[in-house]
Amino acid sequence: MLKLIRNKYTWIVLSIIIISLTVMNLTSSARTDITVVEKVIRDSFTPLQKGVKEFRDGWGGFGTILAEKKSLQKQLDNLEEERQRLSLENQALREFQAEAKRLQNIVDFTNNNIETYDLKPARIIARSPENWYQDIFIDKGANHGIARGMPVINHNGLVGRVQSVSEKSAQISLITDREMAVGVVVQESRDTNGIVEGLGDANTLRMINIPYYSLIVEGNVVVTSGLSQTYPPGIDIGIVDYIDREPSGLLLSATVRPVVNFDKLEEVLIITDYRPIDHDDLEGAI
Amino acid sequence: MRYFVLILLPFLSLFLQSTIFSFLSIKGAIPNLVLIFVVFFALLNSNRNRSAAYGFLCGLLVDLYIGRFICMNALALGATAFFIGSFEGRVFKENLLVGTIAVAAGICLNNFFLFLLSLIYFNVFHFDVNLLSNILYQGLYNVLLAIPIYAWYYHSTKNGLLRSYREI
Repeated sequence: MLKLIRNKYTWIVLSIIIISLTVMNLTSSARTDITVVEKVIRDSFTPLQKGVKEFRDGWGGFGTILAEKKSLQKQLDNLEEERQRLSLENQALREFQAEAKRLQNIVDFTNNNIETYDLKPARIIARSPENWYQDIFIDKGANHGIARGMPVINHNGLVGRVQSVSEKSAQISLITDREMAVGVVVQESRDTNGIVEGLGDANTLRMINIPYYSLIVEGNVVVTSGLSQTYPPGIDIGIVDYIDREPSGLLLSATVRPVVNFDKLEEVLIITDYRPIDHDDLEGAI
Repeated sequence: MRYFVLILLPFLSLFLQSTIFSFLSIKGAIPNLVLIFVVFFALLNSNRNRSAAYGFLCGLLVDLYIGRFICMNALALGATAFFIGSFEGRVFKENLLVGTIAVAAGICLNNFFLFLLSLIYFNVFHFDVNLLSNILYQGLYNVLLAIPIYAWYYHSTKNGLLRSYREI
């Protein structure tokens, strides 16, 4: 024992462990910005990752290497863009429809839905190299106006949140990540609040803190509540698959199937600015 | 040249893990190439102390890339390499099975250390079926990949890029 204490390597190893644990603590999710070293490492990977992505995309379209490939591809891109735009519009419209039912006689505001968000499109260039995290990396960073904490969506619903930003890329934590929690509400009943948290699995979410008297049923759509500063209200998250009673008996929990297919995610939209609907104006319209 | 390759390998692994292999995942699990190379280094190239140092540095690279809980992977990989490195000189390295078993053991150890470290920082950690199946698929994927990689690594250690000057 004395020999071990006198051994200088013991002290070196102990120091490394203590320093490491301290650094771990300092670099938890609560960090506001990443260090220069991290930015350099990430940005050094970005061109290579972009290259692989472009190569992959090119290879994917290799089968259509016919005379009309270019025009067909362009047409396809336009149609895809249109489809995504319409789908997003549709999602927002459904949310407004629910709101309209609740407030009655409110009209003429469903057309404003798209104007609510300032969106920045980005392509996914890489995914987390670790199975423990559900992260993606996009090809837009601080140079493109992306900042930490911005919500990320796609035409189906909520994708996640910007976790950290370097000059040319950004890291997005998906809502399926274990560290993510989003305040939600059931779109149909509106009186059921809860928190959706990730399970580290791309196909399942868990909704917790649901009061036992809630009118939640399987098949209900879960949307962001807007109670937090991060996520605007009304963004689709998932569909309730299964409801279970917590051991305490006072709360329910539910398994939620996300509306976004995280395995096939290729492009995302970052909400760089959000203008909430002015309810005073709406009340004036009644 | 040996040192250059040893430095290049974790960078290349990280790059492949985040790009090509993320699109070739099995049930959401991707292989941990960094771990594979750390395990092989520990088994073939060095003693346990140097293995631990190499594992720590490789893990640190992963941490700096991910940007969360920096040093978590470093500690886990360092400890894993230390344990695997303890068997250096005690096993028949020529046997392909040794490499694959070492990788399987490495995955178990690495995930165990990550789990322990996670317990420190998460109030409640859900060690559920999802996590278990993910580790299982990751393990299978890694073991499958370990076979050709071990053949190459072993050959390189004996006669190729990774040959130590002490052995010449």
